[in-house]
Amino acid sequence: MSARHRHASEMTLIDQLLAEQQQLTAVERFSALHERGHVQERYSALLPATPPGPGEQYAFEVNLDACTGCKACVAACHSLNGLDATESFRDVGLLIGDGYQQTVTTACHHCEDPACANGCPVQAYEKDADTGIVKHLDDQCIGCQYCMLKCPYEVPKWNDRLGIVRKCDMCAQRLAVGEAPACVQACPTSAIRIVKRRTGILPVTSAAGILPDVGGLETRRTGDRQNACPTSLLPDTITSTYTQPTTTYSSSRSMPADARAADRDVLRVQPTHWPLVLMLVLTQLSVGLMIGAIWHVGLLWTASGALFAGLGVSVLHLGRPLGAWRFFLGLRKSWMSREILAFSVLAGSALGSFVLVPVTLSAVLGLVAVFTSAMIYIDTQRAWWSGARISVSFFGTVAKLGASGTAAITGDAVFTTVALLSGALFWLAETRVQRGCDKSLRVVTAKLSGIAMAKRVLAVTAMVCQAMALAFPAWAWVLGSAAFACSLIACVCERVIFFKAVDAPKMPGGLTA
Amino acid sequence: MRDGSASSEDGDASRAGSEKRQQGAAGQGGFATLLRSSDGPLTQQLGHTSTPLGNLPASLVPTATTSMVCGFCATGCSLKIHLRDGEAINLSANEDYPVNLGMACPKGWEALTPLDAPDRGTTPLWNGKPVCWSTASQTFVQRMKAIIAEHGPESVAVLSTGQIVTEEMAFLGAFAKFGMGIRHIDSNTRQCMATAATAYKQSFGFDAPPFTYADFEESDVLVFIGANPCIAHPIMWQRVMMNQRSPKIVVVDPRRTETAMAATHHYAIKPKSDLTFLYGLANLVIERGAVDDEFIAKSTSGYEAFAEFVKAFDVERVSRESGISVAQLREFADLIASKKRVSFWWTMGVNQGHESTRTAQAIINLALMTGNIGKPGTGANSITGQCNAMGSRLFANATSLIGGHDPAKPEHRAKVAGILGIEESLIHPELGLAYDQIMERVADGRIKALWVLATNTSHSWIDSEAANRALEKLEFLCVQDMYPTTDTAKRAHLYLPAAGWGEKEGSFINAERRIGLVKKVKRAPGQSLSDFNILRLLASAWGCGETFAKWSSPEAVFELMKQLSQGQPCDITGIEGYEMIEREGGVQWPRVAQLRRNWTAMPDEERSEETFASCGATGLLSERRLFEDGVFFHEDGRAKFLFDAPREMPEMPSEEFPLVLLSGRGTSAQWHTNTRTGKSEVLKRLHPAQCYVEIHPDDAQALGIAAQQRVQVASRRSAIEATAVLTSTVQRGNVFMPMHYDEVNKLTFAAFDPHSRQPSYKACAVRVSIVGN
Repeated sequence: MSARHRHASEMTLIDQLLAEQQQLTAVERFSALHERGHVQERYSALLPATPPGPGEQYAFEVNLDACTGCKACVAACHSLNGLDATESFRDVGLLIGDGYQQTVTTACHHCEDPACANGCPVQAYEKDADTGIVKHLDDQCIGCQYCMLKCPYEVPKWNDRLGIVRKCDMCAQRLAVGEAPACVQACPTSAIRIVKRRTGILPVTSAAGILPDVGGLETRRTGDRQNACPTSLLPDTITSTYTQPTTTYSSSRSMPADARAADRDVLRVQPTHWPLVLMLVLTQLSVGLMIGAIWHVGLLWTASGALFAGLGVSVLHLGRPLGAWRFFLGLRKSWMSREILAFSVLAGSALGSFVLVPVTLSAVLGLVAVFTSAMIYIDTQRAWWSGARISVSFFGTVAKLGASGTAAITGDAVFTTVALLSGALFWLAETRVQRGCDKSLRVVTAKLSGIAMAKRVLAVTAMVCQAMALAFPAWAWVLGSAAFACSLIACVCERVIFFKAVDAPKMPGGLTA
Repeated sequence: MRDGSASSEDGDASRAGSEKRQQGAAGQGGFATLLRSSDGPLTQQLGHTSTPLGNLPASLVPTATTSMVCGFCATGCSLKIHLRDGEAINLSANEDYPVNLGMACPKGWEALTPLDAPDRGTTPLWNGKPVCWSTASQTFVQRMKAIIAEHGPESVAVLSTGQIVTEEMAFLGAFAKFGMGIRHIDSNTRQCMATAATAYKQSFGFDAPPFTYADFEESDVLVFIGANPCIAHPIMWQRVMMNQRSPKIVVVDPRRTETAMAATHHYAIKPKSDLTFLYGLANLVIERGAVDDEFIAKSTSGYEAFAEFVKAFDVERVSRESGISVAQLREFADLIASKKRVSFWWTMGVNQGHESTRTAQAIINLALMTGNIGKPGTGANSITGQCNAMGSRLFANATSLIGGHDPAKPEHRAKVAGILGIEESLIHPELGLAYDQIMERVADGRIKALWVLATNTSHSWIDSEAANRALEKLEFLCVQDMYPTTDTAKRAHLYLPAAGWGEKEGSFINAERRIGLVKKVKRAPGQSLSDFNILRLLASAWGCGETFAKWSSPEAVFELMKQLSQGQPCDITGIEGYEMIEREGGVQWPRVAQLRRNWTAMPDEERSEETFASCGATGLLSERRLFEDGVFFHEDGRAKFLFDAPREMPEMPSEEFPLVLLSGRGTSAQWHTNTRTGKSEVLKRLHPAQCYVEIHPDDAQALGIAAQQRVQVASRRSAIEATAVLTSTVQRGNVFMPMHYDEVNKLTFAAFDPHSRQPSYKACAVRVSIVGN
């Protein structure tokens, strides 16, 4: 056989092999539409025999003794629910302690008082009256992500492809036909089950705090199963009085006193939320200028400009802004709804102030609107966003930016003085109100030192300029403008840190970030 | 009665409630929907459809299903592949398979995802540039032949894998040895199972793991030594959890692992004190008079010498050297001496040691002396690592002559040559070099060409910087893999794109000797070809197409494997073909043709449970263990007691490197240098993205290391960075790092067990310091 011929015959073989590779022959030989086998009986033991009655709801129950960290539940949730590549509604974290480790599977706790639902401005959450399942209405969601800030267990997950959040619905469609949720079906050691749980068994106290309670599990174990009052689900999780989660974690092993979330010491930098940073700074500047406009009515133009810029940029934060008109649905519970209402009224009033509405009224409405902004964050139960800290931050910004803006535009020395004083006061107050926020302060030191330094330098520069402006009135306009610019950027930096450094409560996570 | 009436009222109330809501919704009509849409295109994305398989995502409803064995670990779970138009779209765990009973670990659930990775190889690459298969195969042949012509056949070696189907392994081994005429072929099974294979071969006379998974459920005392099945083999752990006999579960492991947490007894021995510890236990068991004299007399040899030998391992010495108290040692010995069903299970903690073969045999000895073998819930059982390590051990033509034969035996050579239709002179009477010896010769330049298939030497070989320096010296490195992006493939002169699991046919053999099927349920991307087809192409290009004319398809090779197995302990002549494997839910070896004939030839009226057993037809059962008759595979039918004096670990901690680094599996979600598992976003969620080191809080405090701080871990070989995790699940003086971060093997110390040549990954000396200090 000549070389050429051999070459030709090999081409034939290659073509033949390539063609053969594309044939799915084994499938034709073996495939069938298999039926579900005996596993159904196995997992039917993991479901209640009857649906919940009045005063009851479905809940997850996790046997920690059987949860040994294989994490099949996470993968099965993804596969059996057809989720996106990175999506799963279940996670597995870890507790560690003296000679101790315990993996913890976790999904939505289908809380009795779901913070996600309470925070949603458009009622995109529904707590099913029969089953207690907290369901997210994907088509109702406007993608504001407030539920992600409200939920202390990191349950609602952002879906960038759709511009909405999605979350676990306990596989309600499966439960409705007597099938177990994906995670329950997939757990090799039957660690997850669905139980009926009596509702209203958690004491609702007014003092919802964020301190973890190591004794939570112990309390639950020693107490009567149905009437136990855990103060928190697990070590390093938020007090259960905030949302009244319904998941039960049980174990026959004793948990050491030093048991803690494996990721307790992980310093996590949270998303910046640029539209919110700019919206907050601009609207607070606007309200400050609105107050200035009581004395210098010409400022109304700038104040309104800042207001509409702020409101405009806030829309960028919504994944699906076209549904935002439904904001009034949440007015009864959601501070987000109230904020939208307050700023809508303010917008009308500000425009009205050009004709007949008193500027003072707009200024007052502005302060109310800033109050609703503050409440949005205060309502998330995070130490970094405590009432005191947010009041100082938000109203401090109103004062600082309003006064220095007014001073820069009008050259009014009184406002320069107010700006200088409020800057100094803010400096002092900020240190005080951050006490107890160790984790966030560590994040600032370790991860955000550049921006924190920029904020300090700019704030000091602003104050120096303001002091010089008072000393050299001839230069007041230039120095005032410089001070305002510095102050404005410092406030943006401050607000970036506000979002990035917040220590968000969560379920125990993995070993590292 | 009261409860009953109450619940019926509840039911009525709840029905009434839902009716009212429905009426309300209907009454408000379109306006309600406008205000609040509980359905729509986004909601429907997560909608379910009811199918015979249960509720499934509406977007992923299959038109058919087929089941196949998972391609990650040796548990050998069956996955039910959901097909649409013949192609896989999703999967679930198979309920009707005796291995996994409807469960899978995260790797199994994500088994299809790595096939769709964007970095799949779609064309051969020559020096990084795409070439056609014709050029690639000619290049392969020309380069290999030129090097053989110049430096001899000893200058070429193959490093293969436990990840491809047995039929491909057989073809590769036959082509390399009988086609290319080279001798050195080894595989990454050397890194995981060589010790178990060697230990069994020496002790039992054949590489024969004796157990079946039902033993997990039927045992009274389960002893796990150097094994962490909770995360390494979660589906085997499922079987442990299904045990209804309230078993004692003993874990022997320096770390307080997930399995140690779940056990009833944990003995945290000092690293590499296992051999002393096990000899001490044997001594205590003898002292208790708990040996099975009858079994020893009938079925073993060498017991007296062993009993004499272990006398030196008195309980105080063992306590001192292992760090386990005398009371605990006695407690453990009592469990073994309990006369209940005791099963011993080991994996990498034993296999990857400097005296691992003797350690595995110390476990085997415990089982033999107490008669805990060949009965339900007993055995000295190696939990295998890779999906087809067992296929490799028998049919890869590397560590034995194909089919578990001994090339030194003329009758074996004649048999193999006859079945394969080759000249007997093509069969070298000596086996080739082991992986470490091949790497040594690569480093010193004696081996010039290396062909690597479906393994990632650059990452996984011990002391990896030295290994990579060696690979740089090669004149010709050919890597055949699914991805041109593995650490090793990136160094290749010639890259051949391989189809993966799910894109080809063949069979795997799992840890309990069960042969299961792999099927073609996806189209391989671009021009990638199955390893089998690449071998057909290369054999043809080499000019030995005639020799391999019989090797036309995986199933044709399976027929050859059957013939080769005849008369061997791994006899599979009773397996008719792939359909039978499918029908029976996998078939364990041995499966001898004669058994079925005996049974079917029997007149109907004579068939009973008793005659079923007497004619040997129990060999047809789905779950079988070996050695029920107490007869082993040595010529005298006896198992051997084998032992040696323990040796100090090769690299002891020193003042400069005071800590012992233990490496191992950190998560169930990573596999095999993460080449495939790293393609799944879901699996990536399940482990830290960056390398970490677990260190005892006391050690950390002494070094001034805080939790989550970046630290440097240094050995005599290299230094790497990691995040410090403070946990007392590691002992003082030890640190642990997961092997799936590629930098970890830069630290490990290249020591090898002298019998199995398996690398000792589990212990080397390191120091830890704060980065920047």
